[in-house]
Amino acid sequence: MIYETSTLAIAVFVAFVTAVLILSFWLGSRAKSAGGYFAAHGQVGWFVNGIAFAGDYLSAASFLGICGMIAFFGYDGFLYSIGFLAGWIVALFVIAEPIKRMGKYTLADALNARFQSRGLKLVAAIATLVISLFYLIPQMVGAGALVKPLLGLPHWAGVAMVGAAVTVIVATAGMVSTTWVQFIKGTLLVAVCTVVVALLLERGFSLPTKPIPSDAIQTLQVTPSGTLVHGQPLSKENQLDSRLRAEFGTGFGSIASLPDGARSTGPLGPLAYFKVFAASTVTTWKKSTDPNGVTTWSPVERTGADLLLPGASPTFKGVRDDRLVAKLDFLSLMLALFLGTASLPHILIRYYTVKDAASARKSTVVGIGAIGAFYVLTLYLGIGAMTSGALDPTDSNMTAPLFAKTFGDGLFAVISAIAFTTVLGTVSGLILAGAGAVAHDLLRDVFRMNLDDRGQVRAAKIASVALGIGAVGLGILFEKLNVSFLVGWAFNVAASANLPALVMLLFWRRTTKEGIIAAMSVGLLASLAWVLASADTLEKVLGYSAADAATMALVPFSQPAIVTVPLGFLTLVVVSLCTQSTTRKKPHAAL
Amino acid sequence: MNRRARTRTLALLLFTLYCVLYGTFVLVAAFGTFHEGKATGGLSREAFAGLSWGVVGGFGLIVGAFLLALAYAFVARDEETGS
Repeated sequence: MIYETSTLAIAVFVAFVTAVLILSFWLGSRAKSAGGYFAAHGQVGWFVNGIAFAGDYLSAASFLGICGMIAFFGYDGFLYSIGFLAGWIVALFVIAEPIKRMGKYTLADALNARFQSRGLKLVAAIATLVISLFYLIPQMVGAGALVKPLLGLPHWAGVAMVGAAVTVIVATAGMVSTTWVQFIKGTLLVAVCTVVVALLLERGFSLPTKPIPSDAIQTLQVTPSGTLVHGQPLSKENQLDSRLRAEFGTGFGSIASLPDGARSTGPLGPLAYFKVFAASTVTTWKKSTDPNGVTTWSPVERTGADLLLPGASPTFKGVRDDRLVAKLDFLSLMLALFLGTASLPHILIRYYTVKDAASARKSTVVGIGAIGAFYVLTLYLGIGAMTSGALDPTDSNMTAPLFAKTFGDGLFAVISAIAFTTVLGTVSGLILAGAGAVAHDLLRDVFRMNLDDRGQVRAAKIASVALGIGAVGLGILFEKLNVSFLVGWAFNVAASANLPALVMLLFWRRTTKEGIIAAMSVGLLASLAWVLASADTLEKVLGYSAADAATMALVPFSQPAIVTVPLGFLTLVVVSLCTQSTTRKKPHAAL
Repeated sequence: MNRRARTRTLALLLFTLYCVLYGTFVLVAAFGTFHEGKATGGLSREAFAGLSWGVVGGFGLIVGAFLLALAYAFVARDEETGS
């Protein structure tokens, strides 16, 4: 698709991002020591930290990915909202307070508090780097998706812009400015999405000017000489949705029928919205590609009630299959989302920015409130986008900004700017976590380089530049994948590598450092190997057909957590029992 | 039992409660909603006011998490030290 740029949108976007960067520079000038750079001197207030949790956590996956997935497949995207929020229960009730008491700057600090082991620090730092890189990919992909409709720039340009901006934020400032960027972003994201949902409820549902018949097939072919739409070269006049708009007064994604034969509903209440939607039918689009590379989208009418049930997307299709092995993918992903949050290094380091365990607890509660409010809104946003006639069927990640555009250029500009800041906030946190692992854990503690406070900060800044460059490359490589799907992998790897070690360290006195090192290594490698050998990777990353990918896959389902998390626990228990004599017992001071 | 231990016990009880709710929701979605590809019960059933258990259960888990978090914060409010 070709997107028309808007001067207003660009002006708001540039002003917003510039303001965030100026604030970042100003705050950054106040944090020179390692304590300031990595943990904001532990002086962030619990309320600010709670909202910053929301800013850190509500990533491109939450805003762009979930909204796109709901708009394309219905309820399946909302399952991510439920799982992402549920994970905070593990963080609040199990991890938050002990991790605050045990750590200083990084996850490795907490895991190593009892043992003072270089081996443990090495493994924890590697796990932090791998998980942060996995999590960075969808954020950068989301950045590329945002810049396309807003500035009319190609995907790689958006990825490069975020990479440059974030590297500047982290390299110049660290945790103080990252916290405030995340605070501003968290506040605005929840507030503006609430406004969009209020406008959506006020608008209600309405039918297109004419019903879309089942033979209204739309075609697209990418050839060496250019892109063809309906057999003609792609142009501003001949876009994928041009015919639909001319004939039916809507683009992709629209209501086909409303209850009682109505043509529009008028304003709806928050509960009536779903009641009316469930009793309506929706025109969705089924995609298929022939061997000549011609992609077609055929209209398929589905009931709203069916779209409010799980199992319509490729990720969760096993829910509707009677075979147990097909359901394991769904069960495994829901387990990974539940256990993954409390294992994410960039979330855990935020606990070191507050002064004590009580503040850690209170900031988590504030975070759950803000994050929960946003996730409630996602189902409205996704259903609204699904029926707005504004979908780009070639890219689900662009759903949220395109949906905002249906309310006018002003809101589109604000939403795009916030979404871009969303990516900035999360990527800042991820790069900071990675930079801390390199400078504080690897260089100082593992390789025993003689780094004073300023030396650590300098090393972290250099590491953040390297991580930023790596993230840009990965964001360009994985352009076509849905960002929620990618984040699901990061949660699987985080839960498998970190959770068994964190939980057993807190609750099992016989845990040894060898047990933790073994569990983290096995969890990390097993989950990575499982993901790489899965049908999803073969199909969505390496480009094999679904049938070939299913045949070639070395594992029976794609989401590893249901196997690799228990494997991590088992490894820790067995190795700890075998190495009791080598570890000097220390009391659980943190508990 | 000291105050910190009591708070810890409460946290683990609330965690267990939420695990049961989340686990029930996921298992009902996986095993109780579809048979031979058709919605036969579970999350497709109407809970109230024309809303399915899918919508009510999903929102319930999100709002419920916040309510449990608030309850925990209220009970643990006196344990202000411990860093």
